[in-house]
Amino acid sequence: MISVRRHLEKLRKVKRHHYHPLIHRIHRKHKISRKTLFYVKEYGPHSNVPRTIIKESLKILLFASILSSVGGLALEQIRVLFVSIIPLVILLPVLNGMIGGYGTIVSSRFSAMLHEGRVRGAWWKNQQLKKLFVQLFVIAVIMTLLSVGVAVSISTAARYALTIDLIGKIAFIALLDVLVLVAILFLTSITAGLYFYRKGEDPNNFLIPITTSIADFGNMIVLTVLVILVF
Amino acid sequence: MHVLDKGFNDILSSQIVSLAGGLVAGTLLALYTNQLLLIPAIFLILPGFLEMWGNVSGTFASRLSSGLFLGVVNPQRMHTKAVAGNLVAAFCLALVVSVVLGCVAFLFNRIVFGLSTYQLLVIPVIAGIIASVIVIPLTLIITFALFRRGHDPNNIMGPLITSLGDVVSVLALLIAFSLVIL
Repeated sequence: MISVRRHLEKLRKVKRHHYHPLIHRIHRKHKISRKTLFYVKEYGPHSNVPRTIIKESLKILLFASILSSVGGLALEQIRVLFVSIIPLVILLPVLNGMIGGYGTIVSSRFSAMLHEGRVRGAWWKNQQLKKLFVQLFVIAVIMTLLSVGVAVSISTAARYALTIDLIGKIAFIALLDVLVLVAILFLTSITAGLYFYRKGEDPNNFLIPITTSIADFGNMIVLTVLVILVF
Repeated sequence: MHVLDKGFNDILSSQIVSLAGGLVAGTLLALYTNQLLLIPAIFLILPGFLEMWGNVSGTFASRLSSGLFLGVVNPQRMHTKAVAGNLVAAFCLALVVSVVLGCVAFLFNRIVFGLSTYQLLVIPVIAGIIASVIVIPLTLIITFALFRRGHDPNNIMGPLITSLGDVVSVLALLIAFSLVIL
């Protein structure tokens, strides 16, 4: 036990280097997972935690924000039409939050699976990933229909004139938007997660910004295209 | 494959929370439809601003969760260097991204629509400060509380943060807008 502690303290003093050989030595000798050792090294008492996080996250966060603004540019073009369909205005943050939420769930669950060594071999054969995908799809359908129902109810209560045809169009737009983006987010999380993990970086710092920006950017673009096509 | 397990229930319940938050934010937007047409380039600021909270607080919660699961962060002690460092980083990132969002919105507005609205540089910064003071400390407290009660924060924090971020962001933007423009 004293030997493990001594080695862990030694690891904490090590400067940030990817694939430091000490990690492999401690892993082999004490059977402590590489992921735990990576975390100890990355955020240990001798590392500058804010600097490490800012250094790793800032570029991707700025990229994500700029990408979202570009997505917003599409919606800005149809601002008057969009704002005139009140249920869609109500649904905009709902869809953004919902799709971003799925992105965050997939990203953090997949990061945790990578850290815990639960992804081995071909990812598409992994039962836990398959199950997560089915769960997200089922939940996405339920939640989208529920949110459309509530948005329509709020709009009706606010005396906004709604027809069955209009409700159908809004439900179609919302459902197609969510399902297309959930599939894209899932594939992106896995491919990007594996890429960053193999590079020796913490996927947590990259996956969430990537997936949420794809969710927001994609949502704006898909929503704009669908509104133009349907209305 | 057993789909309807605890994970399914966790995700579904957190999505219901997210839905409630999103609907509140959406209703606020719908209530201020006239202002939406008045706020210059609102759809350039809004998506990035809403997303920022998913990114900054989402990664913050995810890092804390990883640390808690690996045993590197003690669930009974919040006042540690790792947690404080994460907190400082989240505040700094939120502020920097708000500044950049303002600059990007200003530039896009100028290039695409030919309008020089200097208020666009200030609105996201004020809104970012207001929102980060509320969202970031709440993220920390909720992540620890969920872990202590035996939940997986990864399943719950994402939707919870985005919904909390949505409501706070829309309110913060409307407050910042009224402070700067009205």
